[in-house]
Amino acid sequence: MKFKILIVEDDPVIQTQLKNLLAGNGYEAETITDFQNVMEQVRSFAPHLLLLDIKLPGNNGFMICSQIRAVSDMPIIFVTSSNTDMDELNSIMLGGDAFMTKPYNTAILLAKIDALLKRVYGAGQKEILTWNGATLHLESGFIEHDGRKAELTKNEMKILYYLFRHAGEICSRNDIIDFLWDSQLYIDDNALSVNMTRIREKLAGIGLTDFIQTKHRQGYKLKN
Amino acid sequence: MSGKQYLKNQLPVICLNLFGMLALALFLLASGNNIQSVLFIAFVWLFTVICYLTAAFFLRKRRLDKLLRMTEQLEERYLIAEIMEVPERADEQVFYRVMKMADKSMLEKIGEIQRERKEYKEYIEQWVHEAKTPITAMKLLCENAHIDVAHSDIHRSDFTRNMLTELEHMNRYTEQALYYARSEHTEKDYSIREIALADVIHDAIADNKYMLRQNHVKILIDTMESNVYTDDKWLRFILDQLISNAVKYRTEQPAIHFFTTEKVEEKQEHKGDRLFLGIEDNGIGISPADLPRIFEKGFTGENGRIIQSSTGIGLYLCKRLCDKLGIGLSASSEGKGTTIWLSFQINDFIAEVQGE
Repeated sequence: MKFKILIVEDDPVIQTQLKNLLAGNGYEAETITDFQNVMEQVRSFAPHLLLLDIKLPGNNGFMICSQIRAVSDMPIIFVTSSNTDMDELNSIMLGGDAFMTKPYNTAILLAKIDALLKRVYGAGQKEILTWNGATLHLESGFIEHDGRKAELTKNEMKILYYLFRHAGEICSRNDIIDFLWDSQLYIDDNALSVNMTRIREKLAGIGLTDFIQTKHRQGYKLKN
Repeated sequence: MSGKQYLKNQLPVICLNLFGMLALALFLLASGNNIQSVLFIAFVWLFTVICYLTAAFFLRKRRLDKLLRMTEQLEERYLIAEIMEVPERADEQVFYRVMKMADKSMLEKIGEIQRERKEYKEYIEQWVHEAKTPITAMKLLCENAHIDVAHSDIHRSDFTRNMLTELEHMNRYTEQALYYARSEHTEKDYSIREIALADVIHDAIADNKYMLRQNHVKILIDTMESNVYTDDKWLRFILDQLISNAVKYRTEQPAIHFFTTEKVEEKQEHKGDRLFLGIEDNGIGISPADLPRIFEKGFTGENGRIIQSSTGIGLYLCKRLCDKLGIGLSASSEGKGTTIWLSFQINDFIAEVQGE
């Protein structure tokens, strides 16, 4: 099941881009177009989570929040460009679950959404990824192939997670490092090479030789 | 009010009396009085005049000195006309009225300027918030483009990376304007709460991710579990400025190291009631002559001549915000590299805040 997220935001570009971003990360996203009766649209779309701007035409975000809180406990994330204390305080008082200021870091926004959905609705899918006979166990931190297991460090785990998520595609080194930085692991180009070598050794140890292919000047790719 | 000057001011009165005395003496002598009685009368007259002048002098001096003291003790001295006694003498009353009028126009002017400044601050805040909408939109456009083309076109990905770096700069400059406006104001715009130091550091790095990545900056964060009492948004802004400085004044293979310590060698006077956050870089450093002045407004020093984009605002603003938050801010640099120290009070801060 895909989680449904409703975006209440009046800037058209941000609307579409947020929608694309969320759709690209496995959510079903919808935007509000008519700000006169937001509640109607909330009811008809029945989202699991709401991204709510404060400054809106018609009713402002705080009013919408309190209207929703009267009938529903769905998680609400305030996303706004005004970062005064009063706004933050108001959003908490009215039952907002998180407060993010523009321009938000998309990685942090996605992490917040994920954490909130998990907390409210429980873990959606099992934290296991498979590709070509190899299984990546995210929670326990190891990779399995043919009944053989290899323990992974945090860095190695995140690199493999990224490759598994984009299995079959070429992942550039830069993108992998970007993803690691978003996960608060600040490694550089050299460190990535070292980690890659180590991962390959570990994979070879459980019978996965040449599982990760190097594309010259482009990046890495999981073997099809 | 000195006696000499008072006498000078009373000169017409004294002259008039002396003239009167002389005329009376001549008249009395002409009408056949003997010299003794004339001298006696003149002496009594003189004595009376001296007594009167002395008494009047001391009375006035006491009153005026009191007024002077009152003015000196007053914080807003221009308000003296509001609290002083209304004088009884005709000429003093005129001065009193002049003072009242000056006072009123001054208060009007101050009120007007305060109102204008408040409006300007509100305008800046509003402007920054409005500018953030297009920045957010551009950032999302770039990041989404980057997802779309990451595996097909690496050059365009470089383009979006550069765009994202520039957007980070833009965001930092708009934030600077916002916090400058806020720091100028005496109102309290922050709220103190318990926050994990590590979280704020990670947030600040995320704000500058593309700039740090473009410049190949190595980031090292020691494990820190300390919580501090401060405003996370303000602290994040301060860290943003410090990180951007570290990148601006970098050398080959730049690196930034975040660490905490309870003691700093040269600052032994704080006995364990402070937590120091050190932000160490291996950049070009600050010369010892410049070091004491780096927090001054507009100061760029030797480094400013090497790097054109020095404005002398960043650290000045950090200092002002730190002062407001009660965070100690200092810098040390030995030839190469700079360490900025932020010191947080950990023991008595809560008591202090609650005691207010």
